[in-house]
Amino acid sequence: MKTHLRSILPLVALWLIGGAALADDMLMARIPMRAEIALEYVKSSIEEHGYSVAHIQLCDSGMSDFGYKSDFYRVVFFGKISEVRMITERYPELVSYVPLKIAVIAEKDETLLAVLNPEALLPFFAAEEVQIQLGRWHSDLVSILDELRRATGQGLAARN
Amino acid sequence: MTYRRSLLSCLCLAMWVAGGAAHAAPDGRELYIEHCSACHQMQGHGGIGLPLPNAKLRDVTDDYLFKTVRLGRPGRVMPAFQRMSDAQVHAIVKFLRERSKTTEPTYSDAPIVGNAEQGKVLYAEHCVKCHGEDGSGEGQGTGVTGSRERSFLVMPASISNSGFLQSISDPMIHHVIEVGRKSSDMPAFGAGKLAAQEINDLVAYVRSFEQRQVEAAALAPDERPTHIYESPYDFDTTVANVKAALTGANFRIFPDRLVEEGLIDEFSVNTRQIGVRFCNFNVLYGMLKTEPRLGVVLPCRITIMERKDGTVLLAVPNLRVVSRWFNNDELVEMWDRMEQTFVSIIEEVTL
Repeated sequence: MKTHLRSILPLVALWLIGGAALADDMLMARIPMRAEIALEYVKSSIEEHGYSVAHIQLCDSGMSDFGYKSDFYRVVFFGKISEVRMITERYPELVSYVPLKIAVIAEKDETLLAVLNPEALLPFFAAEEVQIQLGRWHSDLVSILDELRRATGQGLAARN
Repeated sequence: MTYRRSLLSCLCLAMWVAGGAAHAAPDGRELYIEHCSACHQMQGHGGIGLPLPNAKLRDVTDDYLFKTVRLGRPGRVMPAFQRMSDAQVHAIVKFLRERSKTTEPTYSDAPIVGNAEQGKVLYAEHCVKCHGEDGSGEGQGTGVTGSRERSFLVMPASISNSGFLQSISDPMIHHVIEVGRKSSDMPAFGAGKLAAQEINDLVAYVRSFEQRQVEAAALAPDERPTHIYESPYDFDTTVANVKAALTGANFRIFPDRLVEEGLIDEFSVNTRQIGVRFCNFNVLYGMLKTEPRLGVVLPCRITIMERKDGTVLLAVPNLRVVSRWFNNDELVEMWDRMEQTFVSIIEEVTL
């Protein structure tokens, strides 16, 4: 039985890779609601996916303090303590990329959400543990963005 | 055993069918929402990306749209969607047609023969003001994002971009010059302004940009996403040295932030892992005009970690690697310069 299971594992892998074949270096979503409200949805969705919001950086306020004009621009930092500790202990080369970040950018009455696709880091790490971790983050981020799209009536039925 | 084999065969077959179903008959609307709407907006009004108005779609062929999705605009925010299947790209094109209620125009296959030298003179007279001498468009920035000042409502197309030149046919270029683009205030140069042959000359000149393509410098094969340095000093001295070096390089330093802060209670947080965050607002503002999505990395952070064996590591993102993820040549240039600053600071700290 084990032999047979091993023989179908490559098929499973191929199937999963097919589903992720659209990966881009940047994951983005447009939400038809004001950024202040969208930010609350972002925080809520992040927490529903099991992450903690570490802090929110007010990029727009910082620029305004120095006289630069900017619309609402926030960056939400989030993560899981177990994952961050795994990274800092075993893979310090990834530490610059944790906690994860979602940029919440106002475009008039709509909001643009952008996040670096963790799978952009895949080519740099051969360790299976890292590959799995990056894939899991990618999957969660896609799910978070899709949940936010769904909340505004723009869900992706094919993924549901 | 036979039963198990049959079960496994059925499982494989089911997965193959399910996989096939997931990839077959792609839904253009859903693909557009996922991959295009963030930049172009659902109705094609534009944002970080250029607008896709019906008037523009009426002028372009399906082949142009297909190649534009597939090839993108190298170095200009619009990514190349090379991992999509042909069927998926076709589905997006079909969705654009249906949404805009436009039909594909047809253009003559007859080759356009023009004099590029004559075209260069006409280009300098009529086109250079908006498209620039090198055909790259206005300069900084992209799309129509409203919060950033620019002299044009829409950034003029980069007509020297390799993705553009590979997507568009000569007759299409001729048509656009002749009738203009109301959606972006590009004037019409037909109807008495320029003769048909003069437009042909301009087409030949625009096509000549293909011979001047400059590829962005490729990354070295051993490039890593983060620079890791070992500090010869203890943790506290290293943190102090980093701050002193950043101040000396005219960066403003933000309050310290522990790597684990906010992820665990304050009594359990590791206080020997710290992110020193810094910024030069003038530089940041200029970069945000060039790349509004900069916040996804916020690279101005040096992480200092004390390991269990007492060694102290400094980690700083490799901007040469990070900048390539944005498909934005302007940002690559800016960050290549900043990379030197980062490395100098770290080297000063670890001397």
